[in-house]
Amino acid sequence: MRIQRVSKAVAVGAAMALALSACAPGGPGDSNPTATDSAGGGNGAEVTNSGLADLGDVTTKDDTIKLTVGAPEFISYNGFTPNTYSTYNSSIVDRMFAGFTYFGTDGTIYPNEDLGSFEKISDDPLTIKYTINENAKWSDGTPITTADAVLAWSVQNLNLNKGSKDKPLFSSVSTDLGDTVPKGPQGAADSKEFTVEFKEPDPDWQIQTWMLHPAHVVAEKGGLTTEEFVEAARAGDSKKLEKAAKFWNEGWMTKPGTLPDEADMPVSGPYKLDSWKAGESVTLTANEDYYGTPAATKNLTFRFVEDAAMVQALQNKDLDVINPQPTVDTLAQLQGLGDAVNIQQGDTLTWEHLDFNFAKGNAFTNLELRKAFAMCVPRQQIVDNLIKPLNPEAKVMNAREVFPFQENYQEIVDAAYDGRYDEVDIEGAKKILEEQDAVGTEVRIGYSKPNERRTNEVAAIKSSCDQAGFEVKDAGDPKFFAPGGTQDRGDYEVALFAWAGSGQISSGQNIYGTGKPQNYGKYSNEQVDAEWATLASSLDPAVHKEQTKKIEKLLWDDLYGIPLFAHPGLSASGSDINNVRHTATQDQIVWNAQQWVRAE
Amino acid sequence: MWKFILKRLGSAIGVLFGASLLLYILVINAGDPLSDLRESNAENREYLMQQRIDYMNLEQPWYLRYWTWLTGASRCIIGQCDLGRNINGIEVADLLGNAASSTLRLVFLATVIAAILGIAIGVLTAVRQYSGLDYLVTFLTFLFFSLPVFWAAVLLKEFLAIGYNNWLANPQISIGTSIAIGVVLGLILQMFLGGSLKRRGITFIITAVFVPLILQYTLWLNFYRYPQMGPAVIVVLTVLLALSATAMSVGMKEKKVLYPALISAALVLVAYYATFSLLQNANAWVLIFGAILSVVIPGLVGWFMGGRLKRIAAGVSVTVGFVGAGLTVIDHLFRAWPGFLEVKGRPIATIGSSTANLKGTFWDHFLDNATQLLLPTILLAIISLASYSRYTRSSMLEVQQQDYIRTARSKGLSERTVIFRHAFRNALIPIATIAAFDFAGLIGGAVITESVFGWKGMGELFITGLRAVDPAPVMAFFLVTGTAAVLFNLLADIVYALLDPRIRV
Repeated sequence: MRIQRVSKAVAVGAAMALALSACAPGGPGDSNPTATDSAGGGNGAEVTNSGLADLGDVTTKDDTIKLTVGAPEFISYNGFTPNTYSTYNSSIVDRMFAGFTYFGTDGTIYPNEDLGSFEKISDDPLTIKYTINENAKWSDGTPITTADAVLAWSVQNLNLNKGSKDKPLFSSVSTDLGDTVPKGPQGAADSKEFTVEFKEPDPDWQIQTWMLHPAHVVAEKGGLTTEEFVEAARAGDSKKLEKAAKFWNEGWMTKPGTLPDEADMPVSGPYKLDSWKAGESVTLTANEDYYGTPAATKNLTFRFVEDAAMVQALQNKDLDVINPQPTVDTLAQLQGLGDAVNIQQGDTLTWEHLDFNFAKGNAFTNLELRKAFAMCVPRQQIVDNLIKPLNPEAKVMNAREVFPFQENYQEIVDAAYDGRYDEVDIEGAKKILEEQDAVGTEVRIGYSKPNERRTNEVAAIKSSCDQAGFEVKDAGDPKFFAPGGTQDRGDYEVALFAWAGSGQISSGQNIYGTGKPQNYGKYSNEQVDAEWATLASSLDPAVHKEQTKKIEKLLWDDLYGIPLFAHPGLSASGSDINNVRHTATQDQIVWNAQQWVRAE
Repeated sequence: MWKFILKRLGSAIGVLFGASLLLYILVINAGDPLSDLRESNAENREYLMQQRIDYMNLEQPWYLRYWTWLTGASRCIIGQCDLGRNINGIEVADLLGNAASSTLRLVFLATVIAAILGIAIGVLTAVRQYSGLDYLVTFLTFLFFSLPVFWAAVLLKEFLAIGYNNWLANPQISIGTSIAIGVVLGLILQMFLGGSLKRRGITFIITAVFVPLILQYTLWLNFYRYPQMGPAVIVVLTVLLALSATAMSVGMKEKKVLYPALISAALVLVAYYATFSLLQNANAWVLIFGAILSVVIPGLVGWFMGGRLKRIAAGVSVTVGFVGAGLTVIDHLFRAWPGFLEVKGRPIATIGSSTANLKGTFWDHFLDNATQLLLPTILLAIISLASYSRYTRSSMLEVQQQDYIRTARSKGLSERTVIFRHAFRNALIPIATIAAFDFAGLIGGAVITESVFGWKGMGELFITGLRAVDPAPVMAFFLVTGTAAVLFNLLADIVYALLDPRIRV
C-alpha cells in the first residue's frame, strides 16, 4: 500500500523534525522564574480623613494601571453637555480637569489646594473670592486665569442664548449660574484672582463649577482673543460668542477612536488624553506639566468591559481595578480569588425609600394608616437579607438628608426620630387598621421593573404587612416613571425607588417642598416648606444642621415616606495596587486614581 | 438568469423598506428615551428633558421621524450616507464602521474554521456511519451545540486563559499527566484513522508512547516559552509533504508531478533565507505579497513542468509552496514569542480585541491580535461546528444512496474517488445555502460572545441603541444586517444554480 509507506515516512520525518528542531533547550539556563516578593502589599498610604491621603513626595512611576468602570464607550473630552454627560464619561474626563473642590469618600467637600483657594468675603450678598495658584497652568503652558472661570460661567448661563432661554448658546448640563451669579466672575481676564457675587444666598456655593475647559482654546476657535471672549461673555453679547459656543458644543466631538488635535485639548488636571481605541480603551497619560502633586502612575487605561467579564479579567490581570455592579454573585467570585485581590465594600450616596402617595383620594392621605404601614415594614429584615450580604456594615437608614456613614448622622437621627419603627409591630398596625376600619386596604407598591432587589423588598413587605391586614400588591412596571405610567397616573399607594445624593445641601427642597418637581407624591406641609426656605437661604453650617433636624423630625412625624437603606457599592483591585479606596460618591472608585500605584 | 437576479433584487428592496419601517416603529415604541432623566434629581431636570426631546425630535410624529431617517439613509445610494447621530451626539456612520469591522474580524475566521472542520467531520462521520467515531462525534457536536455561550465563555477563560497563563509562567507537565494525555490522544487518533483492529492497536500504541515523549522533550527544550523550529525542520516537513502529496494524487512514479513538488520544497528553503531579514521586520503587505508569491511561483513551476498532468502538478506544487510559506511564518512567530512574552506576560487575555498601547514589533502585534482572537474564535467555531457537520453528514448519506454512486462503485472506481469526486461535490450543494445564511446571520453579531469578551461589535451597537430607545444606531444595524441577509440569500440562490445545472433558469 502506497499510503502505508507514506505514513511511515511521515512518522520518521516527524521524529526527525523534532530532533532537528533544537539541540539544546531554548532560553536562559534557569527556566524557573524568580519569585518576586511584593513587599508591603497593603493599602498604601495611611488614611487620616475622607479626603485624599497625603502621599508625601510623589514621582510618577512609569507603569500602566488598567481599569474599568463599565461597558459604555468614551464619548468626548467635553463631558459637560446633555448628550455627553454620563458617569462613565465623567470617570475619565474628571481626571483631566482640576476644580476648586472635590468630594471626599463620605461626600465631605474638600478644597483642592493644587488649583488654588477660596474664601467667603461677604454673606450679604454672598461673595466668594477665588485665588488661583501662581504656577497653575494648562498643559500647553497657558496660565489658568479668571478667563477660564468666565468660560465656566458662560456655559452655565442661559442668558447667553439664541433668542430664548430654551435655546442656549452653550448646551450644558448645568444651567443656573447665569441667574444666580448675574455678573459672573469679576476680575481682569488674565488675573489669578476673581470674585463671584450671588444674587441669593446659596448654601451649595462651594460646589459650583468655576473651572472647566480652557478659555483660550474656545476663544481662539471662536475667532476671538481671550480678552474679547471675556468681554463679550460679560456683556451678554451672544452674537459674538456664537462661533466659540459652537466649538464648545461640537468641536471636541470626534469620530470614535480619534482624539481631537492635542493643541485643542489642554488639561488642567494630573492626566491628559493619550490614545483612544474605539470600542476598546482610552488611555490617559500623566500631565508632565501638572503644577500640583503629580500622578503616581504614568498611564491609566480605561477599558470598556461588561460586568460579567470583569472578575475573570481581574483574575487574569487584564485589569487591575474593576467597578462592577454590586451583586452577591460578583462578590462571591471576588472572594474566591483570595489574597490576589482587595475588595472595597461600603455604602454609597444613593438611598432607597418608600414614598407615600398623597394625591387626593388615596388611602395613605390618612396619617394613621401611614403609621400602621410604617409599623409593619420589616426594614431590618430587608437590610439583613438583601444588603448585608454585600455590605456587612449596612444599617437601616433613619434619615433622608444624611447617611449613616456621615459624621452628623447620629446627632440628627437622635433629634428627629425616636426609634418607634425600628421593630416590626404587627399587632400595633392591626390595631390601627381596625380602629380606622381599614382592614384589607390595598397597597400597591410601584417601582421600575425589572429590579430583582425591589421585587424581593416588596415580597418581604407583603409577607409582613399582609399579616397586619393590608393587602400589599406588587405594582412593579417597566414604565413606572414614564409619561402615562403608574406614577404619572397616580395608580399607586407607595412608590419604591432611590435618590442619588448629589452632595448638595438644598437639593431636598425639590423633593419635599409643596409643588416642587420631584415631589412625586404631591406632599404638602407648610411647616416643612418654611423650614426648607430657612435652610436654603442660610449659609451657616450650624443653621443647616438645625434645620435638617427640624425637617427630618417633621418628615418622620408626618411620615412623608420611609427611608430604607443606602445602596451598597463594590469594587476590587489587584492586591499589588496601592491606594485604591472606596468612595460613597458618584465619582466612584476612580475618584483618587491619580494616587494609585503598583507596589514594587 | 439576469431577469431572475433583477427580480430578486427588486423584491429585496421592497422587503428592506417594509422591514425598516416596521423596525423603526417598534424601536421608538420600545421604551422611554427619557427614563434615566425621570429618576434624576438634578435641579434642571425639566430643562435637560426638553433638550433631549428637541435633540431626538421626540415631539415629531413617527412618520416624520422615520422620513428624516429614510432620507438620510437613502443617500447611501449616492455614497453620502447620513445615518444620523446617536443619543450622545456621535455620528452613527462612524460607530457603524467600527462595529462592523470588529464583528467581521471576530466572526470571519470562526465561520471559516467552523465550515471547514464541520464539513470534514460531517464527511468522515457519514463515511463511517454508526461507528464508534460517529457516535462520539455526534455526541460532542450536540454537546457543543447546546452549550450556553455565556457559560462556555467562562470555562474557556478559566482554563485556556487564566489556567494557561499561570501554567506558562513555569511550564510543567508531570510524567503521569503526559502518559494520560498520550493514552487519550491515542484513543482518539485510532478512532479517527480507523482500519483493522491490528492497525488501530498499532496507531494507539505509537501515539501513546510518542506523545508523552514529545511532551517531556518539549518541556526539556523549554519549548513553550522559547519555541524553535529553524530551516531544517521546514525542509524536512515540506519535502515530506511534497512526497506524500505526490503519492496521494498520482503516485510516486509520476516524475512530472514529483519534480515540481520537490523544486517547490527547495524554493521554500531558498525563500526562507532570502526573506529572513525582510520578515524579521515584516508588515501586513509583505505577508500578503509573500502569500501571493507562494501560490503563483510554485503554481507556474507545476504548470510548465507538469506536461499532461499540469493541473495536478500545479496543485501539488502550490500546496507545498503555500504550506512552506506558512511554516516560514510560524518560524518567525516562534522567534518572536519570547520577546512577546516580555511585553505581554500573560498572552491569552479574557477581554478585548487588542492590548492597549502595546509596544513592540509587527510580530508582537500579530501575536497579540491572534491571542486576543483565540478564545472568542474557539467559542464561536465549536458552536457553529455542529450545524455544519450534521448537515454535511445527512447530505452525504443521502447522496450515497443515489444510483450514480452505485454505478460509480460498480465501475470499479476507488472508494476515495467515489466519495470525493462523486458524492462529496453533490453533497456540498445544500451546504452552500447554509453557509450563506450562517454568514449573514453572524454579521448581525454574536451579541453574547461580544459582550462576554468585551468586543464592541454590531450586537453591542444594536443592544445599546435599543436600551436607550435611540433609533439611529438600531436602524444602522438593521441596514447592514438586513442588506447582508437579503444579499446572501440571493448569493445562495446564484451559487445553487452554478453548482447544480439542473435548476438553472
